[in-house]
Amino acid sequence: MKVLKYILLVIAFVFIQQETQAQCVPTESVKVCIPKLAGGFHFLKSYEINGRGGRLEKVEYSYPFAKGTMYMVNLCSADGGNQGLVVTLYDAARKQLATSVVNGQQLQAIVFNCQRTGIYYLTYTFDNSTSYCGGSALGFKR
Amino acid sequence: MKNYLPFLLITAMLTVSSCGSDKKDDADAFLSELDEGIDAPAISEETINDILMQIPAPIEISMLMKESGSAYDRTILSNPADVSKYNTTFKRAINLGIYGTDLIYTNIFNKNQEGLAYMKSVKELADDLNIGQFFNIRLIGRLATNNDNLDSIMLITTQNFNAINRYLQENKRANLSILFLVGGWMEAVHINCKMAIDNPEVTSLAERIGEQKIILENIMLLMSFYAETDPNIKELYEDMLQLKEAYGNIEITYTYAEPTTEIVDGVLMIKDNSSSTVHITLDNVKEIDRVIETIRTKLTS
Repeated sequence: MKVLKYILLVIAFVFIQQETQAQCVPTESVKVCIPKLAGGFHFLKSYEINGRGGRLEKVEYSYPFAKGTMYMVNLCSADGGNQGLVVTLYDAARKQLATSVVNGQQLQAIVFNCQRTGIYYLTYTFDNSTSYCGGSALGFKR
Repeated sequence: MKNYLPFLLITAMLTVSSCGSDKKDDADAFLSELDEGIDAPAISEETINDILMQIPAPIEISMLMKESGSAYDRTILSNPADVSKYNTTFKRAINLGIYGTDLIYTNIFNKNQEGLAYMKSVKELADDLNIGQFFNIRLIGRLATNNDNLDSIMLITTQNFNAINRYLQENKRANLSILFLVGGWMEAVHINCKMAIDNPEVTSLAERIGEQKIILENIMLLMSFYAETDPNIKELYEDMLQLKEAYGNIEITYTYAEPTTEIVDGVLMIKDNSSSTVHITLDNVKEIDRVIETIRTKLTS
């Protein structure tokens, strides 16, 4: 009977863990983020950020940025506002260009005035996050 | 036995929750039928999705055309009435992308009524591909009656196309997603070429065509994976080798300099001090246009 009890406890644990993960609904954060793109920026892409309860250190996306175009990337955390979410921009050679944490301050968005066409990487990480969950929108203007 | 009741209930709940995926299984089964017996390529789904993300949204190229002062030209677009001709999964997926770009082009130039004709064709193809649920044609039709709603139409259209891509990739039908994106990309380059030829003084149009060399390299890489298993993609890939050849004459040079940053109202403003230069001539544009025209005629016939 002890074995049966153990098996059932494991099943219960797995179930609870699944439920905890299911609480991350990045689509909701994305919905919040899109209208928050600053005036003049046209919506391009939305990105879901699910750190799976802290098991993923980073979530990465890439996009081709074009010379002469400004790109805005904003952050919406399930923690509220942009708390706990960080975006770091890398160029095609994986050289870090900027990050949304400056002197310990977590910023709500970055705007990149691109002068060199190429593939860029947007890496989302977590800093003191409780939800490890959020969304982000990418917009552009010329 | 009484002591185990909570655990049995949990087990039952788990069983019930897994039953919730039946609907998705049905969709998967249906999409499998569309698969037409094509084997998945020997490459990770993650790599495919990474490359798919690097194909630009047509809205960016289309916006440049309007800002350059180019005039709207409906004759260069695909005919929305041809939708009934597309009766294979391959033709439907690629022409969905083509019509999608044409729709965005009409939107950007405030040609809402013409846009509605494209919207109907897009919806029809999407329905045929079992992805019609992403289009609320009534809502878009209502918004299209007023030019002030342009931003809303653009937003909804872009969101719909993003949702389609996500759905196809999540349902392991990235081959359709590739066709959809390649069709859309090629149509954007096609329109851009026509505009650049008509407006040679607007150098930004030709430059944008030249910049697509970076994207084409990724597209060719992606298609090469599927060309091994999908005869339709193989044929398209072989046709696009000519496009790659046409792009062979274009050179892009780069210089790197550290960016500078400042914070303005809680937003980090990044000034890019690097630069890129596209070396492209009008003859290069005409050659790219000629090759695309040939491929496009085949795809829309």
